[in-house]
Amino acid sequence: MDGRNKSGHDDASCIRLMLRRLLYDAKIRDAIYQIALVMGLVALSVWFVRNASQNLVNAGIASGFDFLWRTSGIDVPFVLTNYTAQSRIIDLMWVGVVNTLLVTIIAIIGATLLGFVIGLVRLSPHWLAARVAGAYIEVVRNIPLLFFILFWYFGVIAALPAPRQSISVFGVAFINNRGLTIPVPIDGFAFRAAAVITVAALVLAWIAARAARAERDRSGKTSFGWLAPALALGAPLLAFVVATLISTWDVPVLRGFNYRGGFVLIPEFAAVLAALITYTAAFVAEIVRGGVEAVPAGQSEAASALGLTTAQRLRLVIIPQALRVMTPPMTSQYLNVLKNSSFGAAIAFPELVSVFMGSALNNTGQAIEIIAITLALYLAIGLAVSAFMNWYNARIRLVTR
Amino acid sequence: MSARLNIWRARLFSGPLTSLVTIAIFALIVAIGWPLLRWAVLNADVSGATRADCTSGGACWVFVKQRFGQFMYGFYPVDQRWRIDLWAIVSIASVALLLWKNMPRRGWFALVVILIWPPLGVWLLGGGFGLQPIETRQWGGLTLTMFLAIYAGLIAIPLGILLALGRQSRLPVVRLISIIFIEFWRGVPIIAVIFLASLLLPLIMPSGVGVDRLARAVIGLAFVISAYMAEAVRGGLQAIPTGQHEAAKALGLNYWKATGFIILPQALRISLPAMTNEFIALFKNTTLVLVVSILDLLGVAQASLADPSWVGYSMEAYAFTGLIYWLICFALSRFAKSLETNPGQSRHRMQDAQ
Repeated sequence: MDGRNKSGHDDASCIRLMLRRLLYDAKIRDAIYQIALVMGLVALSVWFVRNASQNLVNAGIASGFDFLWRTSGIDVPFVLTNYTAQSRIIDLMWVGVVNTLLVTIIAIIGATLLGFVIGLVRLSPHWLAARVAGAYIEVVRNIPLLFFILFWYFGVIAALPAPRQSISVFGVAFINNRGLTIPVPIDGFAFRAAAVITVAALVLAWIAARAARAERDRSGKTSFGWLAPALALGAPLLAFVVATLISTWDVPVLRGFNYRGGFVLIPEFAAVLAALITYTAAFVAEIVRGGVEAVPAGQSEAASALGLTTAQRLRLVIIPQALRVMTPPMTSQYLNVLKNSSFGAAIAFPELVSVFMGSALNNTGQAIEIIAITLALYLAIGLAVSAFMNWYNARIRLVTR
Repeated sequence: MSARLNIWRARLFSGPLTSLVTIAIFALIVAIGWPLLRWAVLNADVSGATRADCTSGGACWVFVKQRFGQFMYGFYPVDQRWRIDLWAIVSIASVALLLWKNMPRRGWFALVVILIWPPLGVWLLGGGFGLQPIETRQWGGLTLTMFLAIYAGLIAIPLGILLALGRQSRLPVVRLISIIFIEFWRGVPIIAVIFLASLLLPLIMPSGVGVDRLARAVIGLAFVISAYMAEAVRGGLQAIPTGQHEAAKALGLNYWKATGFIILPQALRISLPAMTNEFIALFKNTTLVLVVSILDLLGVAQASLADPSWVGYSMEAYAFTGLIYWLICFALSRFAKSLETNPGQSRHRMQDAQ
């Protein structure tokens, strides 16, 4: 290609040649593409931001995060913190975070347990049981979650009796169409102490289990293997029984048309929880099935040959190996539960989206700030969940050379 | 006959424990199924037009019958419903033709359908240019559900493919932007995205430029689902052996030609089941537009319960809408499964070559 230029090329054609070389050089072309892309995105963002600030000025809304310290004036029907309508908006946000976490954690535990049961039943040799579990999975997975939330809320819980005709649970808790009213201890000190004892007992149990295993590896004898389970189960149980006995209880009583006293688990809470658990369990069940089916059949046969019972075979051989396959998809499901807890907003359960992106945003009009905070909170909680699950995954991963 | 009987005996009554479980489950099925059957079929009322015709104590399907038009078309003017029918018929016929493997000139047909039909469909439903204009607030029911899913999917699929390619790109900036985009939309709840789209889109547009609220929902859904589609496509891209890339390069194809003619056709075929599953998830999540007062099938059903002349018939409405959602999603999931078990001929060939 240089033949033309060998003899007497002038400056202009030399520059043209250099330019052409530059354009056909892969590295330079890549750089040009990327710079163009970044400049395009920046231009687009600048345009959006300019429009937004113009629109905000027109609407008379000041930007900034000062509004977080203003009094919220919003009543929330389900509060675990000491929030009242006189609290600040940032406390309202915290109420949303706590309620979101509460629903998410309970739903994750419930869905994991129920999903494990359904998944194992789906694999059971009993033909009919396996079919029933399969039918449950196929029905639930192919219907929207929001459908189930509305169904539980407007269909099931709304059909419960009015407070006067409440279903009584041993005369202390009452189920009616305004929720589940449960007794609460007047002074929570005993229960806080029990919680501390539980954590301490779990730590001790963990240490005991490690020590027992080290002792067994050293001497070949199981000497104090009973200690860890006794600590982990017995101490918390004892602590909570004692706490229950020594506390004075605020027991709900029927006054007029409703119950006074106690703590009300509102219908919205029950509906979101019921829907999330039953819905997610179907997906967990499929993950469990996939995980168990991924364990080679030889493992199960070998366990049988060693004389293990069905329960032992599952607990000691199959499930530990299946867990490795199951952990990554389970992480996705747990993140889904976190995100799906926001569906509660559709029935006004006061979780993060509902109280913050809904009520607080309507009151203040600070759309951009509130949206940014909400999304950042979800991303942060989600990152924490996946970090924990990745740590767990790394722990149970198959160690190969 | 007795051989079949033996199979059932082995399945259900092979031992004492098995028999016990069988009987317990049978009892449960009867305990749930019999009242359900009595409610839904035996004691149900079908004929009539008002609540007074529901006398038998079972399900009042009269309610669903009276509301059927709204469940399907929302609040679309009755004399204009033929437009929705036409839209549905042409859409279903096009999809059927696209799925017919031996159709002549399938590729050209697909291109024409994908380029021409979406804007024509918007015109047909929305009106203008000779058709009576119908505001999106009057749209609703199953029509709206289908519209949201189809149009969000139409934006999300090409965007998702681009993002998947971007995530695999050798250009670091492109890769980083794709990763941030994908992980951001996958990390936030869809309901928050729908709020975000409905609040933020009008805000970032120049004053005076309105974005239709249905369009906002479509854009919000499309962004989220494109991130999930991108991950489905990435799975397919990762399954393509490096030899394919090398062969394309050896033939002298540039990046876009190699991607378009060699890599993507194979990758998309592999990721089609995963993409279908993402589409099912999208379809189920379209229900969330309820929170910004757009009434899709579930929203119309929910709104119909507020009608004082039909108070107390929520179970009928839920049974009906639940069944529709289930039928559509179940059919789609079976389709995804059939793609998994019957891979295309060329995939076999690819495996043979390895």
